[in-house]
Amino acid sequence: MNEEKILEPKGVTNGLQNEHKKIVELIDVAKSFDGEVVLDHINLVVKEKEFMTLLGPSGCGKSTTLNIIAGFVTPDTGDVLFENVKINDVPANKRHVNTVFQKYALFPHLNVYENIAFALRLKKLSEEEIYERVEEMLAMVNLRGFEKRDVNLLSGGQQQRVAIARALINKPKVLLLDEPLAALDLKLRKDMQNELKNMQRKTGITFIYVTHDQEEALSMSDTVVVMANGKIQQIGTPTDIYNEPENAFVADFIGESNIIDGVMLDDYKAKFSGHEFECLDKGFNKNEPVDVVIRPEDVDVVPVEKGMLVGMVTSVTFKGVHYEIIVDIDNFKWMIQSTDYVAPNEKIGIYIEPDAIHIMKKSEFSNMFGDYSSFSDELERLSDTNEEENEEDE
Amino acid sequence: MNKKSNILKQAAAYPHIVWSVLFIIAPLIFVMYYAFTDKEGRFTLENITSLAQPSYLEVFLRSLCFAFLATVICLIIAYPVAYFISKTSPKAQKILIMLVTLPQWLNFLIRTYSWMALLEDTGIINTILESLNMQPIHMINTPFAVILGMVYNFLPYMIIPLHSVMSKLDNRLLVAASDLGCNQFQVMTRIVLPLSKSGIISGITMVFVPSISTFYISQKLGGGNFDLIGDTIERQFQTAYNYNLGAAMSFVLMILIVISMAIMNKYSDEDGGVIV
Amino acid sequence: MNKKNIACNIYTVLVFIFLYLPILVLIMYSFNSTDSTSVLKGFSFQWYKELFTDSATLNALKNTLVLAILSSVIATLVGTAAAYGISKMQNKYIKNATMSVTQIPMINPEIVTGISMMLLFVFVGTIVGTSSSLGFGTVLIAHITFNLPYVILLVLPKFKEMDRNLPKAAQDLGCTPLQSFFKVELPAIMPGIIAGFIMAFTLSLDDFVISYFTTGSGFETLPIRIYSMTKKRVTPDMYALSTLIFVSILVLLLISNLMSDKNRKEMSKKAKTIAKVSIGSVFGIIGIVTIIVLAMSAGTKTVKLNVYNWGEYISDGGQGSYNTNKEFELYYENLHYEKTGEKIDVQVNYTTFASNEDLYAKLKSGAGGYDIIVPSDYMLEKLHKEGLIQSLGKVDTITEAIPNLQYLNSQFKDMFVYPNENGELELYGAMYTYGVVGIVYNTEKISPEDLEKIENGEMGWEILYDQEYMERYKGQILQFNNPRDAFGTAMYHLGFNVNTASTDQWQRAYELLQKQKPYVQSYVMDEIYNKMESGEAALAAYYAGDCLAMAENNENLGFFYPKNSQGVFETNIFADAMCIPTSSQNKELALAYINFMLSEEAAVANAEYIYYSSPYTHVKDNLDYQIYMGYCDYVYVLDENDEYVLDENGDPIIELDENGNPIIEYFEDGDYSVIYYEEFENSLGSMFNSYAFKDLDTTVGASITTQDLNGYWEGLKVDSGSFDGTIYIICGIILVGIIGFAVYYIVITKKRRKLYWNNSPSAPQEKAEEKDDSMSETVMIAAVKAEKKKKD
Repeated sequence: MNEEKILEPKGVTNGLQNEHKKIVELIDVAKSFDGEVVLDHINLVVKEKEFMTLLGPSGCGKSTTLNIIAGFVTPDTGDVLFENVKINDVPANKRHVNTVFQKYALFPHLNVYENIAFALRLKKLSEEEIYERVEEMLAMVNLRGFEKRDVNLLSGGQQQRVAIARALINKPKVLLLDEPLAALDLKLRKDMQNELKNMQRKTGITFIYVTHDQEEALSMSDTVVVMANGKIQQIGTPTDIYNEPENAFVADFIGESNIIDGVMLDDYKAKFSGHEFECLDKGFNKNEPVDVVIRPEDVDVVPVEKGMLVGMVTSVTFKGVHYEIIVDIDNFKWMIQSTDYVAPNEKIGIYIEPDAIHIMKKSEFSNMFGDYSSFSDELERLSDTNEEENEEDE
Repeated sequence: MNKKSNILKQAAAYPHIVWSVLFIIAPLIFVMYYAFTDKEGRFTLENITSLAQPSYLEVFLRSLCFAFLATVICLIIAYPVAYFISKTSPKAQKILIMLVTLPQWLNFLIRTYSWMALLEDTGIINTILESLNMQPIHMINTPFAVILGMVYNFLPYMIIPLHSVMSKLDNRLLVAASDLGCNQFQVMTRIVLPLSKSGIISGITMVFVPSISTFYISQKLGGGNFDLIGDTIERQFQTAYNYNLGAAMSFVLMILIVISMAIMNKYSDEDGGVIV
Repeated sequence: MNKKNIACNIYTVLVFIFLYLPILVLIMYSFNSTDSTSVLKGFSFQWYKELFTDSATLNALKNTLVLAILSSVIATLVGTAAAYGISKMQNKYIKNATMSVTQIPMINPEIVTGISMMLLFVFVGTIVGTSSSLGFGTVLIAHITFNLPYVILLVLPKFKEMDRNLPKAAQDLGCTPLQSFFKVELPAIMPGIIAGFIMAFTLSLDDFVISYFTTGSGFETLPIRIYSMTKKRVTPDMYALSTLIFVSILVLLLISNLMSDKNRKEMSKKAKTIAKVSIGSVFGIIGIVTIIVLAMSAGTKTVKLNVYNWGEYISDGGQGSYNTNKEFELYYENLHYEKTGEKIDVQVNYTTFASNEDLYAKLKSGAGGYDIIVPSDYMLEKLHKEGLIQSLGKVDTITEAIPNLQYLNSQFKDMFVYPNENGELELYGAMYTYGVVGIVYNTEKISPEDLEKIENGEMGWEILYDQEYMERYKGQILQFNNPRDAFGTAMYHLGFNVNTASTDQWQRAYELLQKQKPYVQSYVMDEIYNKMESGEAALAAYYAGDCLAMAENNENLGFFYPKNSQGVFETNIFADAMCIPTSSQNKELALAYINFMLSEEAAVANAEYIYYSSPYTHVKDNLDYQIYMGYCDYVYVLDENDEYVLDENGDPIIELDENGNPIIEYFEDGDYSVIYYEEFENSLGSMFNSYAFKDLDTTVGASITTQDLNGYWEGLKVDSGSFDGTIYIICGIILVGIIGFAVYYIVITKKRRKLYWNNSPSAPQEKAEEKDDSMSETVMIAAVKAEKKKKD
């Protein structure tokens, strides 16, 4: 419980108002596989009608968390509560929770209709009732007329819809979605994001959504849970997470950010890169070392003489809406997004508004992220993790 | 140019095609030729019609029954084994499957022969039973022994295809099924069973065909008291020197197998999604 | 959960025990110190030693390996090429047709493949006019044929999986099409080729059925040898060989498994090298063995003699006995060298058959190429009539060709002698043995009163055919598994002439056999050894020599000559003779073999080994033989404690008479007196006249032929006898269950579909890509709208 308090600073709450009841609660849940800790005593509260996203790189424990809620994995310690009732020993098939699986896991031997009707058949409902409800679901996912199609011959998006319909037909109280969009191409993924969000609003079912795609998380969720190394790093609304990252990991994982070593001289006064800055943060000890987060879009390029800091442009990339500029300031590579073109090897000054500076306490992740000198490597690492994640889940 | 080189490439298959015509098709034509001629080479239907005698009909019926029972028993024994193996770690799977196929490296004749030593009235099993003061069981020369021999010899042919289908079975489907409300048993009947259909079918084929045509097993473990098709055919060629009757029987056997396979394939094509 | 796992484990272990039980038995017997397969006496390695002296088994092993290597290599080459060609085929129909034909040998039962090829070879043989079409070549063709589909089906998918652009990429980088095939495509399909090769190799190694039908003279593979062995008794050295094969395969598989267990990524270079080396060395060894075998046969001129004899009908060197064939090889090699100064390598290919009918069928199937065959009297007559055997020489001069024939008992002088077109008499068969059929019984299984009857000489054929006895010994009676002998016993019992022309009498004998069938445990030939020795059966009619041989291994076995219902000894007397088939290419060698077989040393060794009566005086009167057969023995000097007095060599001292000759005492109850039964010995000629089988086709005329007899026999064999029909009922119940389930399944599916099946008017089963586009379009519009709303 202590940990949760630490993780939940004042003013930052779940995305939904408190009047909503708790529906799922994980209390001090830990799990390890073959001696490897996957979940390190986490606490999590999910509220009714909430769209919660578990976000994190592969191996952070987000899928395990989902599997624990679904009942496919039993936690080593800790309790899983569903509507305040402990359900640790309730098998998956008896929980009011359904899952949309990564790559859908549609039953290849059943057609679209039978896939969706699967759960109802188990309940031995009458054919007419099954028919009614399946048709209703098919209408919701825009797949009427596809009843006798072979699911193996559907496109990815269609399979996705069948998977959602199949999971929703049971009218679960909580729908778990395990990277449901990972296998879709970019365009379809965006469409489906919107559709999912709409569906959640319409049905009012609690969604717990697992993804490693931060953009997906930010655009869809009420609450984002950022996880790393089997621990929850931050819980908050998308805006909170983006604007007030808890530590270097969150800052780096969510969007682009320059994370610079700094010292908090006083309230509202920070020093980094050899320059003192005004900021909006307070409540740190004097001269406490901190991590400073500055988003690339919050940095203004100015002539050298007007700059708070001065640096050498090492590379410029055109990104459509803006240029992405890597600037070397005191051997630290900053990323700056600017609509104005600057030439490589040009000296420029930069200017930072006080509200663009976000100060974080030092954490285990300090000094691991933020420098763009090895930008390409980092990209590679990210794409690697994606692949690994897929493999792992297969 | 491209087409020409492609034709050249296709020519790589010609030796095989020639070989197939000479040694697969031509021999089958000879089977038919002998089946429909008498010893002097005149056309006759007598060979086929003589198979309609009750005694031959019973031989066919008996062979069908034996092969059918052996297949069913193989399926019942093999299914849980294959499933269990497919649930172990990849390393264990490899070793277990190796252990399943290992006996096949020893000639089946000698393995069947050692069953005789086990099953005889004075054999090992009965000796053990007697030493335990239990009633000895008469097993050798009974249909039981013959079916046991078939099951023993062809069980790996059932386990292997079943396992290879099951090991490819997507575990997420089983998880998905239990997520949707299936208990263990329902997962088996609604997901595993229908999805291993292709393995079941190839297993059935691989057990049924050799079972229905075997002659060694029935000779050794059945004592030669009741003929199976294989025995009857073998005798025509190796002892009775009546190729025409033997060929007719082989011809009918082939047709029987084609019909059985057609029925099974039709049944398995019967698309559908539901079981129980 | 845990309990369930334990149950699973126990179940799996039980199944594995089931799979390995017979192998355990086999390994156990390979270490047995006796040659019985029913009794375990003690631990010994003798069978492993014996194995390496058993040239026939080693030769079969070599044949099997050569066959497997050749057939799998050829099948792999042709099959890979075929897979390549098939993968390039564009015409769907040709491709499908090729594939379906390819699969025929996989779907067809082995027996059908076997006989269909046999029919082809026999037919081609008769067209070409050779009588020896079957042999190594035909087996090789057959093996390649059934190996091909497996190679193709394993290689073809590799071609399909291969990236279509791979060869293009290679050619783009500068490969010629040929180079691209060898450097890019071949390595990509290599796993398939290797899998195909291994599959073909193992299939060929293990095949029995197809080889069985397509092999001819002198080519015996290991499975065929095992088959002919299991007809009589599998010598434990075969168990030893199987154990060795099993253990080496186990080790090989374990090694390869451990190798591949390590992830390839993690696999060190060293381990990889070891794996490569070990795989390479296995292939290397196989290659070297082949080369050595080929070289050995190429070095000196090899002369082959194909002998086709009854099972266990020769002293074969087993357990320290005289190795007749090996001795002959040495003898003839020396003889030839002395005569011509040329070194040759004589190889006796010795294979066996179980009955005269088998021999006849084999000869007729085109399995010519035999140089020596050993048919019985009536079959010899038939073979002579059909021109399948050749004359050994004119009777007047026969002792020049086969000097040892001079020792032939004069009572047999006229046997197997037929006039040629000039009226000169020619000999067609050199007698090997003769014998009388009697009844062997197990004293422990025969009731005391019947035993008494037997001992008083009051028992006859009725013990096999009277209802009372049949009931008493139900399921413990063995019957001959060949028509002549089986009908013979029935006819002796009925008091008919075994060569009767009366159809009615044949019919009655047939009915008697039919009546007997439900009481018969098994129809056997050489299998009788195992069944009588192990005590499985109580009673059987069989050849006297074999009966005595059985009694050697089971002291409870007794033997008597049956009398007919008139109380007169009436039973079959037979003679087996060595003949040279017309198709033999090597008559001179064959004659030398016959003469060698009749030489005193070999003939005595054989007579002692097989216990049949010898028609040769130099055998019958041989003292060692008589002693061995329990006819007589030396009288030894005994001391006061009735113990042998030994000489300086440790041998017992023999008592001598006044002339210095050893004193010999004679016994009446030895085996010798059984096989040279006094009542028969002086009237053998007339016994042959009245009781021996004659070829029905020549002697009886049109009323009954061999074909008719075969027809009766066929009728008897397919008769269901005492077959219990409950199995049909069980089958029926299961079948009804399955059909019921299928019907239920179809009905319920129909019912479920009724509601929605017509909703989607036409359900195209092809990939629904186009529709998907429009779908995502609508979604996109919705998304755009949603986004707009957000912004607003």
